[in-house]
Amino acid sequence: MTRLLTLNGIYKNYGKKTVLSNISLQVSKGICLGLVGPNGAGKSTLIKIIASIIQDYRGELRFSDSVRIGYVPQDISLEETVSAKDNLQFFGRLYGLSGKALKERISEVLKEIGLEKREKDKVQTFSGGMKRRLNIGCAILHEPDLIIMDEPTVGIDPQSRQHIFQMVDRFREAGKTIIYASHYMEEIERLCDEAAFIDHGKIVENGTIQQILQKHAVPSIFVKGGNALPDKINEFGSVAAKNGGYIVQTNRPLDAMEFVLQFYKEKNDQLERLELVQPILEDVFFSLTGKELRD
Amino acid sequence: MQDRGIWFWAIILPIIFTVLFISVFTSGLNETESRQVILSIVPGYTVMFVFFIMISMAESLLKDQKIGMVARIASTPLSNHFYLLGKWIPYMYIVFIQIVILLLFGKAVYDVPMEQPLLLMMLAIFLTFMVTGIGLALSVMVKTTNMGIALTQVIALGGALLGGLWVPVDMMPEFLQAVSRFMPQYWAHQGFQDAMAGTLKMADFMKVSLVLLGIGVAGFILALLRPKQ
Repeated sequence: MTRLLTLNGIYKNYGKKTVLSNISLQVSKGICLGLVGPNGAGKSTLIKIIASIIQDYRGELRFSDSVRIGYVPQDISLEETVSAKDNLQFFGRLYGLSGKALKERISEVLKEIGLEKREKDKVQTFSGGMKRRLNIGCAILHEPDLIIMDEPTVGIDPQSRQHIFQMVDRFREAGKTIIYASHYMEEIERLCDEAAFIDHGKIVENGTIQQILQKHAVPSIFVKGGNALPDKINEFGSVAAKNGGYIVQTNRPLDAMEFVLQFYKEKNDQLERLELVQPILEDVFFSLTGKELRD
Repeated sequence: MQDRGIWFWAIILPIIFTVLFISVFTSGLNETESRQVILSIVPGYTVMFVFFIMISMAESLLKDQKIGMVARIASTPLSNHFYLLGKWIPYMYIVFIQIVILLLFGKAVYDVPMEQPLLLMMLAIFLTFMVTGIGLALSVMVKTTNMGIALTQVIALGGALLGGLWVPVDMMPEFLQAVSRFMPQYWAHQGFQDAMAGTLKMADFMKVSLVLLGIGVAGFILALLRPKQ
């Protein structure tokens, strides 16, 4: 795959505080890279460096060729006292669009974000989801090659979230490269090809989602039945109560399942559920960053 | 422009203050003395109140920072100085309109003279440039609205006091008279008074203009020196 962006040894300090430390990362063209990390990990700072908003950093940031960037900020950065169309016009002009080309792009973007019927309404009358969609719309007017999305689905309803997912899918189909920062692991799994985990200003893991899951996630089984599990189950791995049953994290899931089956058979008791649990990115997130609350 | 309250303290409040203070300071004075007081108060309060635009300018920039607009704009090809110009120009309109309305109010109600209208107009433009230039510098430096309000009050009221807008400079102690020469309010007030009375010489006009323009440019440069974020 052709490389679009290379970050090499990026450092960023705010006063004496180091926010990013030796960040090295490569982003290939046409992929969706998930940027994951707890609050204050340095995601937004890294995104702002890539989007050329922060320019006083140490290290190397190199694009393979001339790349148009569309930045979707975490905040809803819109002028709420004017209409959706006025906002799009404003940002379109900032990106150098004018005349017929701008008009056409505004019309396309309004359709893309599902706001064509509300184009003349003031943004302050919009729901959170509509504002989020317009927030994205303002960043894609100039048809960027790289779209950087910082927590684009915070505080919105499932319909708008679904709409944004579909938009991201369409961007990918159109060959755009996407950097997608989110707290929601299921979004990263659903949308991204690769992920980079950031904690305390460092990249603690990166690779394809599959690679990361294989490397870090321990398989587990879920058991629910009338009986408490015998102590011997601890020989297979760690056991934790969950949803009225037990989660057994084990590297021998099939053996553990066989053991549970045998146990219930001998007891002649009813086993409600016994299933293999797919490892998920959230488990990896906690194993890499811990479960301590962050500021 | 969306903030309608701006018109209250930019136009209505100065008019109320002007009327009140003229009625207080002219009571018991003869016609000639009253004319002198009015000729000082009308331009003096105009100069004093234009400085309060700095609060709106700071609020506007802080709001942009708070909602991530500054970062978003920094990600576009728009350069930092064009962004600042974009924030500056609308307030220049407001301040210029404010000056014109307050002077016309003085003319309509107190029949203040306007003997050198062209110079007055140019001074109004330079005062606008100067005050909004300082406002821009203040806007990029303050971190909260309260800080903006506090500094605006220090600059506007402190400058009004020391610049001779409240008490004529020649009634001040000698060292304060020297200090007043460092106040932009002093230069603007002197220029306006002389142009209204028709006694503003070209050399003095140039001096006042250079001071006002210089401070305005310094404000813009200070604002530019601040990083985008």
